[in-house]
Amino acid sequence: MTERPITRRAALIRALEISAVPAFIAAGCRGRGKEGAAAGRQPLQVALVPCPDYDPERLLEAIRSGWASTRPPEIRGRRVLVKPNMVDVSADRPIHTDPRLVEALILHLVDLGASEIVLAEGTSHNRDSEWLFRRSGYEALAKRTGILLVDLNYDDLRPVKNVNPRATLLRELYLPENVLSADVLISLPKMKTHKLAGITLSLKNMFGVVPGMKYGWPKNTLHWNGIPMSICEINGTVKSHYSIVDGVVGMEGHGPIMGSARTAAVLVMGANALAVDATAARVMGVDPGRVDYLAMAHRIKLGSLNPEDIAVSGEKVERARKDFVLDPEYAYLRAPNV
Amino acid sequence: MGPIKTMSRYSALQALDFIKARRNPDGGWGYRPGGRSLVEPTALCLLALHSGGEGTAAAPGLDFLKTCVAETGSVGIAPTEREGSWMAYGALLAFHELGAAAEERRLTDWVLNFEDASGRFSPEELSSIAALFHYDASIRGWSWTPGMTAWVEPTALFVIALVRTGTPSTQERIRSGVSLILDRKVRSGGWNFGNPFSKSFELEATLMSTALALAALGAAGYPGDRPAVGQGFAFLGRALAGDVSTASLAWSLFALRAFPAGASIVPETAARLSGLQAENGGFRDNLFETALATLALEHPDALLPRRERPR
Repeated sequence: MTERPITRRAALIRALEISAVPAFIAAGCRGRGKEGAAAGRQPLQVALVPCPDYDPERLLEAIRSGWASTRPPEIRGRRVLVKPNMVDVSADRPIHTDPRLVEALILHLVDLGASEIVLAEGTSHNRDSEWLFRRSGYEALAKRTGILLVDLNYDDLRPVKNVNPRATLLRELYLPENVLSADVLISLPKMKTHKLAGITLSLKNMFGVVPGMKYGWPKNTLHWNGIPMSICEINGTVKSHYSIVDGVVGMEGHGPIMGSARTAAVLVMGANALAVDATAARVMGVDPGRVDYLAMAHRIKLGSLNPEDIAVSGEKVERARKDFVLDPEYAYLRAPNV
Repeated sequence: MGPIKTMSRYSALQALDFIKARRNPDGGWGYRPGGRSLVEPTALCLLALHSGGEGTAAAPGLDFLKTCVAETGSVGIAPTEREGSWMAYGALLAFHELGAAAEERRLTDWVLNFEDASGRFSPEELSSIAALFHYDASIRGWSWTPGMTAWVEPTALFVIALVRTGTPSTQERIRSGVSLILDRKVRSGGWNFGNPFSKSFELEATLMSTALALAALGAAGYPGDRPAVGQGFAFLGRALAGDVSTASLAWSLFALRAFPAGASIVPETAARLSGLQAENGGFRDNLFETALATLALEHPDALLPRRERPR
């Protein structure tokens, strides 16, 4: 395997991570790794659902199909927060989670009896959320479906202790009330390459719950903390209960903003974000074990990326695989052809 | 020259009534009605009330703002989060306008001594940033929170606040802030959050960042005939021709008023912003945006230095 060169900062983060692991496990973090599967526990369920386009009926059918096969969270009577990915919006490039997918999920959640649905995002670069929500189509769909649309960057905040007592910069994380008060959080990322992380999926999508008014734009504290460590610390503190990766049309090349459209024609769904991300990575032709933050998330038991721990229903990964063009710096992520 | 009146008296009073009616019991304001009191919306609401002749109504808000001052003189985002932050720009303007001289003096010192990350980068890191993102990370500016990378918007906000509150534009920090803004310009014109490039791609400018950058350059007395300003206004004009947000429109109005080049489209931009006011007097039901729009339309002198400006 081609290893990424270790920088001084990466070495420091790695050292901190190693020291953090035992305490993190002791804190009773959720997830189950290889040992769990080996011990006969149920594997992590992931649905790989073919979906060739954004036709509303097909999307709804795909969501229903994947949902039913993946041990989803209880929705009836619950307050559900849907977190799409909207790092920016472009008329030419598929940067944000397609609003037709968001709307199909909302209709599904209504059918399941959600008491309240909130669509919420905290944009990373451009803090002009009014403009972004309008351009993305999220404002219109929120009005159409009667749900609340929230800018997490300016929501009321509350400090939350990081479950990892050896966390680095984020020992105490200020989080939006709308995130903390949600009974169920659904991460709805876009399947994209990422210029600083290799790929971005469900776990990386959680950067958007971190409020800009406290941590700045582009969430700079997280970058100084190290992206892999920040992703793991956020996901160790905020539980996402379900993930649906928008891989109908993803982004390859210089993502997450300047890349090109790439059709993968799938939704990747499941209750364990790491297992979903590992499966989505394989669809992208990426070895998840080579992605820093996925490997770290696996080591600290946020779930598992091992194929033997993940039961994939629906389409076979090998058949769905579309090798996304990777940023040259991340060429080493490419999974060997089977 | 007095303030340029672009709202009707009735509309201006309605906006102030909207603000007054939504004050929190602690004297401050959140971004949305009923939201937790925070420094930025409180400071802007105070400026709007004070500038609109509602000084008495502003008093409890000033008391709230004073509770946000830490021992170091810094101001965070709220009384309980006192680690200094970008929102201090608003507090500085409000302390100055409402005559809180001691707080203003201490906060000015803190802002002038604010440390971003510019001094912490190694030569290798500076080279790497220059190669990947095409900017000079050694230029000192302001970050959203102390110790982090400086970006265009917090730098612009602090330049505006310092100049408005009397720090000479020749002061070293302001000159450095202006240098940072110029260095981060997108090559084809305008500004984004502060990465003009990413690896082999130019990143696009955005309206809010461009408007703030231009307003700061104008506040600092940067010559309007320089290419950066001309290109910035060219981008601004294109962006204003399309869909825009309330806050971006308000900041654009400050930018247009900061340079003679913007004069020709001040009236239509002001009319467009005025047209966004809701029947209840507010803008988007947002306290910060209502205050910002009111200031942009009625009292631009509260943020930009007083000088001859185009009608």
